[in-house]
Amino acid sequence: MRYRKMCAVILGLAGSVAVAVAALPPSRHEFKNLKVLPKNISSKNLSRIMIDDFEDGLGVSCGFCHAEEKDSHKLNYASDAKPEKKIARLMMQMTIGINKNYFKLKHPLIGDSTLVINCTTCHNGQPHPGDLETQ
Amino acid sequence: MKNENFISLDGNDDGIDRAGFLKCMAWAGTGLFCLMSGGILKTYGMSQIVDKATGKLKDGIRLPKGDFSFVQISDSHIGFNKAANPDVLGTLQAAISKINAMPTTPSFMLHTGDLSHLAQADEFDALDQALKSAKTGKIFYVPGEHDVLNDNGKQYLQRYGKETKGDGWYSFDFNGIHFIGLVNVVNTAEGGLGVLGADQLDWLQNDVKGLSASTPIVVFAHIPLWSVYPQWGWGTRDSEQALSYLKRFGSVSVLNGHIHQTLQKIEGNITFHTATSTAFPQPQPGSAPAAGPMKVPADQLGKLLGITSVNYVEHDHTLAVTDIALSEVNEKQPAQ
Repeated sequence: MRYRKMCAVILGLAGSVAVAVAALPPSRHEFKNLKVLPKNISSKNLSRIMIDDFEDGLGVSCGFCHAEEKDSHKLNYASDAKPEKKIARLMMQMTIGINKNYFKLKHPLIGDSTLVINCTTCHNGQPHPGDLETQ
Repeated sequence: MKNENFISLDGNDDGIDRAGFLKCMAWAGTGLFCLMSGGILKTYGMSQIVDKATGKLKDGIRLPKGDFSFVQISDSHIGFNKAANPDVLGTLQAAISKINAMPTTPSFMLHTGDLSHLAQADEFDALDQALKSAKTGKIFYVPGEHDVLNDNGKQYLQRYGKETKGDGWYSFDFNGIHFIGLVNVVNTAEGGLGVLGADQLDWLQNDVKGLSASTPIVVFAHIPLWSVYPQWGWGTRDSEQALSYLKRFGSVSVLNGHIHQTLQKIEGNITFHTATSTAFPQPQPGSAPAAGPMKVPADQLGKLLGITSVNYVEHDHTLAVTDIALSEVNEKQPAQ
């Protein structure tokens, strides 16, 4: 009898938790198609990387990597339609690798202020670092 | 004896301490004072007219009597914390203090976008809290591209655009003047140029259709509606079409932000103005590898933000910037 009561309480609690979880609104920012940046990255950190590392570091705007939605000039941030986005991922992986392998940072993350090498190191406000040589 | 101009805490060895930085920023151009008289808009940089020490109008400056006045501030970038200005809230407060020190309370305020740096709720909250202390009437907003990051402007619309159309465009009338707030940051074009888009252009055409040609028009939007420097995205791709709807009006004033410096251009019946930022300066067009926050020594900051004259020539178009000292208002007309 006591065992049944305990099971009922546990089931009841579990049910309450399940209902509560189901009732929670979905995470306000569910970023789709993140492959290099952490999937659980906060909106603030993601935006900071986009602005500080990419926009300011390369002197570009969002549309440089992000494709537009079909029949619209609005950006589809999840889309991989533009090759520049793929290149950006490779660049991030390269940056992480350099900081890890050559500067011995244990857990380098894009946007981390402790990075020895970041986008600006080479790009210096230019979309293509080579542009600097031709100027 | 304490020297107030002495930099006492220079931790970064860059010639800037916080007090000195704020002092410089406080007198630098942190807002635009607009006076509408007889349908003609006159604009003045706040640093030109307000004494940095007293917060009052400078000696000898007489404001002409106008029908009404309003202020424009822009590019507050609340949340920005880099070296170009680690205290953007402090400099916004300095701009508000100047507005509050005006001898005539402005009828309302326009904020021409980039309220926030990263479109975060706490950044918008901080801006709202700060602007509560501004002694003006209603505040009208348009978004900057920083306000629509990640969500194409949904949060901005919920907060500031409840009674607007589309992505946040709208119009209103005040004292016989027709004001039009346009949004050119949600849609984008290659190179970062702003885009108004077909829906907004259709709305604009209808919005002004019934107005008489003698109605003074004031348009405000974040990214300049003229080609300041397209290589840096400082222009709006389809602005010519928008301006074509306004050509029949006798007086059109266009107020923008985005480029963090004061520029003015007069083209026929249309006068274009861009406002300084309350947060940080950006380089003059073409003078740096790219646009972006510009860190300068504190003693130069005021000069750069208080730019009164910038000449830029591109494709045989000369852009002239007018800087009018208030004491000369009646004697000197804006240069072209």
